[in-house]
Amino acid sequence: MSSYEQLRQGLSAPICLTWEVTYACNLACVHCLSSSGRRAPDELTTAEARSLIDEWAAMQVFYINVGGGEPLTRPDFFQLMEYAIERRVGVKFSTNGTLLDRAAARWVASTDYVDVQVSLDGVSAKVNDPIRGRGSFQRAWRAMELLAAEGVPFKVNHVVTRHSLADLDRLYERVTGMGGQLRVTRLRPSGRGRLVWAALRLTQAQNRELYHWLRAHPDVLTGDSFFHLSALGTPLDGLNLCGAGRIVCCVDPRGDVYACPFVLAPEFRAGNVREQSFASIWSRSPLFLRLRRTEVGGSCSGCEAYGRCHGGCMAVKHFTGAPLDGPDPECVFAPDGRPGPEQLPISPRPIRPVFVR
Amino acid sequence: MRPSDRIRLDPGIALRPERFGALAYSYRDRQLLFIDRSLLPFVGSDGERPVGEIANELVGRGLLEAESVPRLMAVLEGLRRKGVVHVVV
Repeated sequence: MSSYEQLRQGLSAPICLTWEVTYACNLACVHCLSSSGRRAPDELTTAEARSLIDEWAAMQVFYINVGGGEPLTRPDFFQLMEYAIERRVGVKFSTNGTLLDRAAARWVASTDYVDVQVSLDGVSAKVNDPIRGRGSFQRAWRAMELLAAEGVPFKVNHVVTRHSLADLDRLYERVTGMGGQLRVTRLRPSGRGRLVWAALRLTQAQNRELYHWLRAHPDVLTGDSFFHLSALGTPLDGLNLCGAGRIVCCVDPRGDVYACPFVLAPEFRAGNVREQSFASIWSRSPLFLRLRRTEVGGSCSGCEAYGRCHGGCMAVKHFTGAPLDGPDPECVFAPDGRPGPEQLPISPRPIRPVFVR
Repeated sequence: MRPSDRIRLDPGIALRPERFGALAYSYRDRQLLFIDRSLLPFVGSDGERPVGEIANELVGRGLLEAESVPRLMAVLEGLRRKGVVHVVV
């Protein structure tokens, strides 16, 4: 059986999972996948979070991608991360950088198994701040300087958009020049991203340009974001398939388990860790079992590139109203049409989290 | 790799059983490796027995083809060069 088949049919535990530790955030980025802002009052408590980490350790989840919201707004952030590391669950956390001080930079520098990435969506405040908020560029840059001063091999996560693609070379030079590593990820129409998808997403010509740029920069990480572009030729580095519910999943601040961090929608909620163990959700939830049986067919089935792109991103299809068993809306063979509708047909999570259930 | 070598998994690597064998994750370079089922008796031997002895036993029990042994040793040598396993000295 090919390794693609092995992965498609799911693993005994996630390779990694995304843990959104809080919806609280001091920024309000226009493309936020989780529509973050206010803290959910029923966030997992420290004790609940610890038992979740215990479960992940027992299942040998190799590492967790910790995000939010802004993880550093959780008062028990460092305590929980140390708890995970002590149990050999590695930590990669994403931050907007605004709350990262010298002490936090020193903590990252002195702790094994912790990686940090700072979000930056432009090489200048002019491009970044309209997306991430006024002053956010300067504060993220300050965080990068603090990390660089401690000798931390930090990453910079960049959601590439129509207005930032032209600056990729400059961003790459500035980040690597500071000792950081660039990570470029895909804009998705999830959360608030739905509202800006049409205006900010790459054109088809830009997608082709990005593919060639990534091929020429193998040291740039992508988190497997652009596997739909692998249809253009030699596959990009990574597993090149949708890992939702198969090799990854997402746990939200209230313990809801979703197939992936880009589909925080009721249709893709597999269960809640307050009602069931994480392990049983992972191995037995009807949603995850169904995803592990799913093959993208439709017009993809006869395509010569299917073995490289596997039909693209489920989340992008879902939130643009495209059939899940058809091609990614940004399939490289799709015509370079108009930018698409301003309003997408399917409603994601409410922009403001609803706390009462 | 010589049949008399004993090997042990690098302490910075976690090995997790899967249907096809195991997944290995290196906390050093954050790399993920797929370990085929046929390699598990060697990779998981914890330096207790020489790899040649393990291979002979598997061949004797009909779990491994004698012709596959040289290829298997080459794969183990590759894992040693990658730092996934070490020869116990």
